[in-house]
Amino acid sequence: MSAADKAGRRGWFGLRLSVFLIYVFLMGPIAIIVLSSFNATTSMAFPPQGFSLRWYGEFFRSDSFVDAFLFSMKLGLCAAIGATAIGFLAAYAIVRFGGRAREAAQSAALLPAMIPHILISMSLLLALNFVPVPDFTVLLAGHVLICLPFTIAGITASLDGVDAQLEAAAWTLGASRARILGEIVLPLVAPGVLSALIFAFIVSFGDIYIALFLAGPGMTTLPMEIFSYVQWESTPVIAAISTLQILLIVGLGLIVERLVGLRRIMRF
Amino acid sequence: MAAAADRRFGIGLLTPIGLLYLFFLILPIGFFLSMGFFKYDVFGLYKPELTGENFARLVVDPYYLDIVALTLKLAGLTTLFSLLLGYPLAFFLTRTRSAWRGALMFLVVAPLTTGVIVRTYGWIVLMGAEGIVNKTLIAAGLIARPLQILHTETAVVIALVHILMPYMVFPLISSLAGQDPNLERAASTLGASRARCFLEVTLPLSRPGILMGSVLVFTLSAGSVVIPQLIGGKDVQMMGQSIYELVLHTLNWPLGSAMASLLVLLQFSIIFVYFRSNRRVRR
Repeated sequence: MSAADKAGRRGWFGLRLSVFLIYVFLMGPIAIIVLSSFNATTSMAFPPQGFSLRWYGEFFRSDSFVDAFLFSMKLGLCAAIGATAIGFLAAYAIVRFGGRAREAAQSAALLPAMIPHILISMSLLLALNFVPVPDFTVLLAGHVLICLPFTIAGITASLDGVDAQLEAAAWTLGASRARILGEIVLPLVAPGVLSALIFAFIVSFGDIYIALFLAGPGMTTLPMEIFSYVQWESTPVIAAISTLQILLIVGLGLIVERLVGLRRIMRF
Repeated sequence: MAAAADRRFGIGLLTPIGLLYLFFLILPIGFFLSMGFFKYDVFGLYKPELTGENFARLVVDPYYLDIVALTLKLAGLTTLFSLLLGYPLAFFLTRTRSAWRGALMFLVVAPLTTGVIVRTYGWIVLMGAEGIVNKTLIAAGLIARPLQILHTETAVVIALVHILMPYMVFPLISSLAGQDPNLERAASTLGASRARCFLEVTLPLSRPGILMGSVLVFTLSAGSVVIPQLIGGKDVQMMGQSIYELVLHTLNWPLGSAMASLLVLLQFSIIFVYFRSNRRVRR
């Protein structure tokens, strides 16, 4: 083995070691949340003293947390359906009828991703002072907005893989445009649409910035509830809730990964 | 297919998103940002009188000037450390032939999906006065009283790097994976050492990824509210927090709006610099 090879091996080993440490840094805090949720004592001792599920019980007994959890689920579902439906129509228009304006239309569609989310929610809160729109509608609109860039990116990528000839054939045979969209295109991109739906739910469920300004009374999302709770006290009940949220999200994330790949939908 | 009918159908498909963006994004944000030019009114949202005093106050009042300076400093440090940690990670992930590569990639994306609040909470558990780091140090007899780790600039930067690093890693992976491996091979055949190969071939070629990642991390950290609020508290005030306070607690919409405009201006100038330097590279 030459000296250069040896140096190369040492370099590669050094790289692997530092990559390992970086993963410890990335995963550490999340692992600690999960582990401390099984703590038997009140304090956040680590390693946990004894194993218990009492904090999970505490969560299910707490009305405010359960309500927030259910509200987040409901909001996430509505936002995901809205963002997927609007995103699907927009993505199809961009891919099939965009022509030379496609690049520009695509960038415009991704607008909410380029604007800081607090700016969106503050502006909507301000607008609420002048225009009487139900609070829930505004919160939902905010969530649909932040989910749209992801659903459009994901569905556009799937649509690019669809052969336009199929649609032309159906058109020649007399199918209407709406029928082509529903009976030819939609089934072909179903995995992409489903993963966009799931991913939009994930984005909505994890959001704090839109809810920070727009979650009025009776509309507290789970992240908001945690945010206000954590500012005053810290008990393992938050760890238990976070663990449940991580499980839910990672489970959904794995489905998206299987369907189309997470990286594709996140535009990286 | 008929072109005119196609156009009409396409426009019909774009109507929902167009209306949503117009009424819930563009108009409200335009109105909010124009608020910065109006006078503050203690009893209402604003006085319909034009003024430049909100912007003047941000640049003259040392309290707000400090907040802007601190935001720039912490966002800069976060970008630097994300790059220093993200580069080896991206380099490894593009070069490894390990069977675990897919899983390792997933582990970088997955934390992004859990939401900011859960990941921030992890750091509170670690760094609080009753936190794991302090308890371990006390148990080991290294310190007598808990160290103040939360509410410091260091803690905020650590948490920001942890939470935003994936946004650095992915552009880096894209630009590193897009490189022609023959270039490196050619350089080493011609006698370049591995270090020289990296410094003169790989690193310059990954510049677009470095720029893109830096822009993302810088803008996201400059605009963050929740992380500095929970980790830094009152002691580490960044622009995002200050806007949040001004709008929700002080109810000074015009000043909050001026601060938000400054933040957006800052972010767009960074993006502008990015596009300019990117063009230079391509030429």
